[in-house]
Amino acid sequence: MAEVILQGVSKAYNGRPTVHAVDLTVADKEFMVLVGPSGCGKSTTLRMIAGLEEITAGRLLIDGADVTHAAPQKRDIAMVFQSYALYPHMTAYRNMAFGLLKTTSLGKTEVDRRIRAAAEILHITHLLERKPNELSGGERQRVAIGRALVRQPKVFLFDEPLSNLDAKLRTRMRGELKRLHKELGLTVIYVTHDQIEAMTLGTRVAILSQGSLQQVGAPMELYMRPANTFVATFIGTPEMSLLRCAVKADGTGSRLDHESFSMVLDADAANPDVFLGVRPEEIHVHPHSVPGMARGIVERTELIGSEALAEIMLGQDRITARMPVADVPESGAQVSLSFDLTRARLFDANTGRALAA
Amino acid sequence: MVISTALSARIREAGLAYLLLLPSLAFLAAFTYWPILRSIWFSFHDVVLGDSKIIWLGLENYQRLLEDRLFWKAFGNTAFYTVITIPLAITCALLLAVALDSKLRGMAIYRSAFFYPVMIPSVAAGMVWVFLYSASYGPINKGLSLIGIPDTAWLYDSKWALPAIMVMSVWKYSGYFMLILLAALKLVPSDLYEAARLDGISAWNRLIHITLPLISPTLYFVIIIGLLHSYQIFDYVYVMTHGGPADATNVLTFYIYQNGFQYQDVGYASTLANVLLLFVGGLIAVIATVFGRRVHYLGR
Repeated sequence: MAEVILQGVSKAYNGRPTVHAVDLTVADKEFMVLVGPSGCGKSTTLRMIAGLEEITAGRLLIDGADVTHAAPQKRDIAMVFQSYALYPHMTAYRNMAFGLLKTTSLGKTEVDRRIRAAAEILHITHLLERKPNELSGGERQRVAIGRALVRQPKVFLFDEPLSNLDAKLRTRMRGELKRLHKELGLTVIYVTHDQIEAMTLGTRVAILSQGSLQQVGAPMELYMRPANTFVATFIGTPEMSLLRCAVKADGTGSRLDHESFSMVLDADAANPDVFLGVRPEEIHVHPHSVPGMARGIVERTELIGSEALAEIMLGQDRITARMPVADVPESGAQVSLSFDLTRARLFDANTGRALAA
Repeated sequence: MVISTALSARIREAGLAYLLLLPSLAFLAAFTYWPILRSIWFSFHDVVLGDSKIIWLGLENYQRLLEDRLFWKAFGNTAFYTVITIPLAITCALLLAVALDSKLRGMAIYRSAFFYPVMIPSVAAGMVWVFLYSASYGPINKGLSLIGIPDTAWLYDSKWALPAIMVMSVWKYSGYFMLILLAALKLVPSDLYEAARLDGISAWNRLIHITLPLISPTLYFVIIIGLLHSYQIFDYVYVMTHGGPADATNVLTFYIYQNGFQYQDVGYASTLANVLLLFVGGLIAVIATVFGRRVHYLGR
């Protein structure tokens, strides 16, 4: 397995930049997830690592070797595609054997041994003689992973591999991938647009938006300490609520003024225009009027099993709060709100960047 | 009640379908199936074009065919033409299609350029190639003389006349087959090639083990169409050589034309046509059996 280093990697199509100077280091045996909305450049970045797209600027190093302009087969990587990319006219066995037989000097016995071993790990031994059209989506996915495993590459690339599966199978396959990563000690770079997939699978997660890297960190670090408003609203379901506030100095310190409430600010904020970011679980809803608390109107409620979500209008801002089902207020009700500010974040309203806590 | 309503709706639908099919069926019956039946009937008779007198001959025409040296010559020429021209045209078409199946600039212009010969009427194309092959002023001889090859009367030399027509046919067919194969190539998912590239599969192995199996239904179709075309070749022979020199380019369809319309021996021409039909049908059945099994339909 190997370390993958991207140094200022950029991509432009016909002079139009798509990926801007991405700096990223994927450690040996790490499960790195590239996540972001459609068109953010995550798949392009992965394809540049694979060698399927030319790198316009920057360097790419795998295991210390500069492979910026190396052909895909020279990079010692394997990729699992969103569509699985299984050869439809070959059996699962042949799909897994094809590359090894045509490009390596491995004997048929060794190829067979590798295929049987991978099939055992993936629980697909009984499917080896079937063609892709005789397999379900999940089974095809396993064969595609098996094809990558038998190559024993330095790095595994996954391009939205679970997107075509139904929700239940997706959850199961997530568990399988996590198990494989742990058991086999693979170095994985995984692309997804699904932030839940990113949070549950990644050792670290890299968030991209409009071709630029926004933040790289452990899943909970991104959740707890987002670097900017994009990360704050992208990670977490429902997203973090942002309240437009003004920081004002008074005699003793600073105050955070919102059109619906005012509170003492422990830290100094250099910028007067800020967003206060609060997660749904950091908002406490009180059904009755509590003096000194912000007052909001419940717009809509959603029951999601053991919990409920409430969308509340607080002045001009819409916020989402999470609560036990028993505490859910009626739509249209006036409620009092308090915030758990120990984890709340402030963002510069102009740049969107997080301000020091 | 519900059942009878559903049944009557189905009958109405089927009736409408047959009604819509009727004009085509009438044309097919009048201009294809009836002539075939007549031709079978004629082959057992002595029929002279324009003469209403028909004499029963039994299998005499078929017996004559077996002993007809010219029939075997035409049969051999046709087989030789098919065996060389069709694989060559399909190979050229496939290579062109693979080359043109790229996202490079100007590919649309190249596609049109290679398809252009298909749009030229056969007779006009034949005339152009008569000029190209001309022994005294043809550009081909002029070009070859530059590298010291002496002038050849391509269309008047019994050794070269048929190959000359075959070269022209490859030029004419390649563009047509190329366009069909190109459409098939566009349907092969690009991520299959990407997966193969990541595995380090060579371009040759990608062509043999991925492209060909996945376009095999179209390839199968092109082979059958090519085969049918090759057994219908008439126009180039008529325009360029008239079957000569010394029957070197006499192919079955031209020989049928000669017997039917020049010698007015409709009975024998019909016999030849029936044998040709049987032979082509048999050949297609063999190809369907051998090749049809290897065809892989995407997604099935």
